Amino acid sequence: GSSNSSAHIQHGMLQGRDFDDPPGLLEKTEYLLKEWLTIYSAAPNRDPGKTFSVYIHQMNVQGILKSDDIITRFFRLSTQMMVELCYRQIPDQSQSPSTVRAKLFHTIDAYVKLIVLLVKHSGDATAITTKTNLLNKVLGIVVGVLLQDHDVQVTDFHQLPYHRILITLFLDLNAPDPVLESINYPILAAFCHTFHLLRPRKVPGFAYAWLELISHRIFIGRLLGLTPQQKRQRAYDQTPVTDVQGWNFYAQLLIDLFKYLAPFLRNAELAKPVHLLYKGTLRVLLILLHDFPEFLCEFHYGFCDVIPPNCIQMRNLILSAFPRNMRLPDPFTPNLKVDVLQEISLAPKISPDFQCYIQPPSFKKDLDLYLKTRAPVTFLSEIRTTMQQSCCEPGMRYNLSLLNAIVLYVGTQAIQHIRSKGLVPNTSTIAHSAHMDIFQNLSVDLDTEGRYLFLNAIANQLRFPNSHTHYFSCTLLYLFAEANSEAIQEQITRVLLERLIVNRPHPWGLLITFIELIKNPAYKFWNHEFVHCAPEIEKLFESVARSCMVHKQP
Amino acid sequence: GVAPLGPVPLSKDHQFQFTMLESAFLHLPHPSDSERIKLYLPRNPCSTPHYYNQGPLPHSDSLEFFQRLSTETLFFIFYYMEGSKAQYLAAKALKKQSWRFHTKYMMWFQRHEEPKLINEEYEQGTYIYFDYEKWGQRKKEGFTFEYKYLEDRELN
Repeated sequence: GSSNSSAHIQHGMLQGRDFDDPPGLLEKTEYLLKEWLTIYSAAPNRDPGKTFSVYIHQMNVQGILKSDDIITRFFRLSTQMMVELCYRQIPDQSQSPSTVRAKLFHTIDAYVKLIVLLVKHSGDATAITTKTNLLNKVLGIVVGVLLQDHDVQVTDFHQLPYHRILITLFLDLNAPDPVLESINYPILAAFCHTFHLLRPRKVPGFAYAWLELISHRIFIGRLLGLTPQQKRQRAYDQTPVTDVQGWNFYAQLLIDLFKYLAPFLRNAELAKPVHLLYKGTLRVLLILLHDFPEFLCEFHYGFCDVIPPNCIQMRNLILSAFPRNMRLPDPFTPNLKVDVLQEISLAPKISPDFQCYIQPPSFKKDLDLYLKTRAPVTFLSEIRTTMQQSCCEPGMRYNLSLLNAIVLYVGTQAIQHIRSKGLVPNTSTIAHSAHMDIFQNLSVDLDTEGRYLFLNAIANQLRFPNSHTHYFSCTLLYLFAEANSEAIQEQITRVLLERLIVNRPHPWGLLITFIELIKNPAYKFWNHEFVHCAPEIEKLFESVARSCMVHKQP
Repeated sequence: GVAPLGPVPLSKDHQFQFTMLESAFLHLPHPSDSERIKLYLPRNPCSTPHYYNQGPLPHSDSLEFFQRLSTETLFFIFYYMEGSKAQYLAAKALKKQSWRFHTKYMMWFQRHEEPKLINEEYEQGTYIYFDYEKWGQRKKEGFTFEYKYLEDRELN
C-alpha cells in the first residue's frame, strides 16, 4: 500500500544523509559505474540482456548486493556522483550548453538505465514487492540527496541533475515491458509520493523542474487517462467508484502548487519568477480543461479552497470544466428554461469529502441540530464566531475552508430536504427553511469581507448543469431579491460581474445566474443606484448586457 | 481592487521561498532536459523574427504530410532523427514508395527493374539504394537481396 511505499521512501531519504560508509565503497562504486557506462555506451538503445547478467556478477563480486544497506549506499554514492558531475560541467563556458548537456545526459541516462534494470530484475519476475521496495528506496535516496543539496547550496542549487534523473527514470519505467507493466500502479504511486515530498513549499529551488515533472504529458496521461466509459461515469454522484487513485494523487500535487503560489498571488504583485510559474500553472490548467475536464469537475472544491479569492481567471478555468459528453444549452438562448433540463436533478461528484472540513465536531453537531429543528436561534451568530475564531491564516479574518464547507454542506442538505418533501428546488421551494435562515443570516450578519467570501463560496458552485448549480443559482437570486440593504445586492453583483469581465472561459451557471438577474424585471436590477454609481460602471453594465443579448429595461 | 482582502506582508518563510525561486529562475529547465538525447539535431532555442513561422505547419506529423516530402528528406529524417515519431513516419512513407530497408547494410533499397531471379531466400537484380555515407542515390547491378536482411515488420 501507500504507507509501505512512503516508509521506504523515508528510509531512503534518511540514508541520503548518511556518510558513514565502509572503507573502499566509494572506489568500488566509481569503478562499477565506469564499467556500466562502457557497457551502456556500446549499445545505448538496446536492452543489454546478456551483458547485464555479467554486470550483476561483477556487482556481486564487489559485494554490493550483499545487503540492503550496501545497495542503498551504492545508490546514494552514485546519485551524488551524478550531481557532482553536473556541478562541475555546467559552468563550462568553453562548450555550448547543448554539448555540455548531451554529455551529462549520456552519463545520467546510463545510470538511470542501471536503476531500471536492477528494479526489473530484483527478485523473480513476479516479485512485485521486492521490485517496488527497491524503487521506493532509490527514489527516497534521490529525494534525500536533493534535500541536502538544496540545504547546503541554497541559492547555488541546481535543478538539472535531479530533474533529469526523475523524468528519465519515470519514462524508462513506463516503457512497454510486461514486467514493468505488472508494477505500473506502484510505480505511479512511488513517483506521486516523491513529487509530493519535493513540493515547491518544501523545495522552492526545485519549483520549475517540479512543474515540468508534474505536467509532463506522459505523467498526466498515466495518472489521469481513463477509458471513456469511466470518464462518463465519474461526473455524477450515483456511480460505482472505480479504481482511480491516480486522480486523487494528481489533485494533491495541484493543491501543492496552488498553495505555494497563494501568498504571492494574493498580493497581486507578481515578480518575474512568480509570474513565470503562474503562467505555467495556467497552461497546465488549460490542458486539463481541454483533455481531462471531468477531473477538474470532480476536484474543483479542493482547488477553490486554496486558490486566493482574487485569482478569478484561474478559478474560472476550473469552474468552467464540464463532462465531455454533455451539451450545454447556450446561456444566451432567449427564454431558456433551466428548470426543464434533465441534468439539474443530478448531483455532481465532489472529491474528497468536504464534510470533514466542518470542525470542531461539536459545531457540526449544532449545525445538524439547527438544520433539523431550526433552533436555537442563537446558533446563527455562533457560525460567524466559529469562523472568525478558528482562523489561523495570516491576513485572513475568517476560516475560509470552514466557510466553504458550511455553504456546500447546507446547500446539499437543503436539496435533500426539498426532495424528501417530494418537491424540486426552485426560487419558491428554497425559501423559509433552516437552510435559507443560515444563508440569509450570513449575508446580513457578516461584514463586507466575510460576505465577499460567503458569496464567493456560493458562486464557486455555479458551474455546468447539475443540482448544485441550480440550487445555488436560485439561492443567490433569492438573496438578491430578499436583501434588506443595497450593500448586499451590490456585493452579489460585484461577485458575479468580476467573474464575467475577465477573459473567457466563463462557467455556464455563472452566466445563467447573471443573465437572469439583469433580465428578469422582478429583480429591478437597473433601478439600483450602484448600477449608475459611475459612468464607467454604467458603461460596463451596458456592454455586459449587450453581450448577454437582452434589452435594457427602461 | 486586485487584492480585495488587502495585501499581506510576506512572512520570513515566504521570503525565503521567493529567494530560492528567484535563483532557480536564473537557470531554468531547458526543453531538452526532459527529452531523449538528440544526437545530431540537439535543441538550440534562439529567438527568431515574428514574421517567420514560429511553429510547424498543422498536420505536419501525419503520414499524408510525410508522403509529400522528397525521398532525400525522408532519408535525412530516418538517419538523423533516430527514435522519434518523425523517423517512424519517414520509414512508413518510404515503404509506401516501395523502398525496403536492408538490416545488414542499414540502407534503403528500391527495385530498379523486375528482379532477374526470385526464390524463397533472396532476389537478384538491379537496385537503387541510398548511400548515407556518400549521401546520395546509387545504382547497383546484380545485387542479391537476402530476405533474412529484409526489415519486414508491420508498421502500424
